[in-house]
Amino acid sequence: MEPFDRDEALIAELCAMRPAPGRAFAAELDQRAAAGFPRRRSGRRSALATLGGRLPSLTRRRLVFAGAGGMLVALAVAVLVISGTASRETVQSEAISAPAPHGATSSSGAGTPGGPFARASAGREAAPTTVFSPEPTVIPGEVGKVSSSVAAANASHRSIERNAQVDLLADPSDVDSDSAKVFSTVHELGGIVLRSNTVEGRNASAHFELLIPGAKLSEALDAISQIDRVRSRREASADITASTVGTSDRLKASEARIDSLLGQLAAAETESEREAVEAELTRERRRAMTLRQHLAFLNSRTNFARLDVRIDTGRESSGGAWGIDDALHDAGRILATAAGVLLIVLAVLVPIALLAALAWLAHRAWLRRARRRALG
Amino acid sequence: MEQALVATAGEAPDAADLLFADLYRSSRDDVYAYVAGLLRDHAAAEEVAATAFERAYRKRHRFDPNRGEPRAWLFGIARNAALDELRRRGRHASLTAEPAGFDSTGLDESAERSERRLSVSAALASLTPGERELISLKFFAGLSNAEIAAIVGVSESNAGTRLHRAVTKLREACDGAL
Repeated sequence: MEPFDRDEALIAELCAMRPAPGRAFAAELDQRAAAGFPRRRSGRRSALATLGGRLPSLTRRRLVFAGAGGMLVALAVAVLVISGTASRETVQSEAISAPAPHGATSSSGAGTPGGPFARASAGREAAPTTVFSPEPTVIPGEVGKVSSSVAAANASHRSIERNAQVDLLADPSDVDSDSAKVFSTVHELGGIVLRSNTVEGRNASAHFELLIPGAKLSEALDAISQIDRVRSRREASADITASTVGTSDRLKASEARIDSLLGQLAAAETESEREAVEAELTRERRRAMTLRQHLAFLNSRTNFARLDVRIDTGRESSGGAWGIDDALHDAGRILATAAGVLLIVLAVLVPIALLAALAWLAHRAWLRRARRRALG
Repeated sequence: MEQALVATAGEAPDAADLLFADLYRSSRDDVYAYVAGLLRDHAAAEEVAATAFERAYRKRHRFDPNRGEPRAWLFGIARNAALDELRRRGRHASLTAEPAGFDSTGLDESAERSERRLSVSAALASLTPGERELISLKFFAGLSNAEIAAIVGVSESNAGTRLHRAVTKLREACDGAL
């Protein structure tokens, strides 16, 4: 037999060898095509091929169910996140600092002879024992605990200026009785009501500016927090020991100078000497009086803490029944919440979708390479 | 093939249905011939050809005429199905009987003709699957070099060059066997 010396002969032979489908196969395939290729199982297909074959045929309903299920999961996650954040904020706003231990008193408190603003005596007791940071740190209920830093503050007689603010949430009908309880609490603790303002009616509210003995501030906060629901509570402190000690030292030095001048005055021999010493004495006494007043002022800042109490019904004044403004306000809150939920849902779904897309792309790239390898 | 090939009972066929019907009519035997030439297995070729048409039917609405010709699209699907079968074979290492038309000859054929055909068949088996694929696309499926290039993913000149090499190798293999 002669070899193929020309490609044309080989090509002609190839064309003659063209495989043709069997009649039975062709007829069956035609029927299946006419019927829209109904599903049939094939044992020859791999699991992946079976899955790949099924995937395009997922009905819209199944896809919708799967999508809805994913959205529900994302929504549940969003609600959990939002409620968790809200509860954390509530705990932080209601947390309190450790109250002063029993027995500790402020320097020249309300009971000191001469009134709350009298000069501190030499044998004064320890300054307020609790040192507070601007942010509350102690869990409610841990009354009476004193940290080691507080004990150190006791020992060093520090002058701490404290102030606090409590916002209470009350029903309009309770504002009056709550206000009365605030008054009675202040009087029981030996405090002073500097200013008060009460509004009656549907949008009732009350506002008090109080002075509470420094050592009893925590007790006052606890008592006032029991009156009604606490919306927020804040405490702050400032250490003014340096100013107080400095002023006290300068006052002592001035008094010593006065004693010395009095001695010089007694020993003066001439009229001019006497006049000079008297002039100096007058200046020094004026200076001592200024220092004494300043020290009294500083002591008043530490002896008494400023406490601001607000009682509110939680609804802004709208002049009457629920109206358009309230509706807009509520609608705005609902929209903001819905937007927040949507953002969280997207934050959950988008990474998942990205991962799924990456996995799909990686699978396609691997499949492409595998098919190329199959060709040798 | 007289019966209607559009299976949407109770609905008027859309453009995708009509396109598929036309494609099926014109390409059924060509797809089978290509797959059989590549796989050299009758039963596997039937399965793969049916799978290819089924996949094309399910994806008929996704075909974009701006991205290529319908025949190239269909043969691309058939190619992937055939390559998946080759991969599966590579894992299971089983090669079954030669497809009909490769090593069987007609009763009225001469002995010389039969011998030539057997040598061509053996030479085809000695080619790599990639070379055999080009031969099948060109001479069994009847595609042009441009269509082959679109399916395989190379330039038209590259497809022509590869095809020429495959034919030359096939001829040398045939001549060596004769």
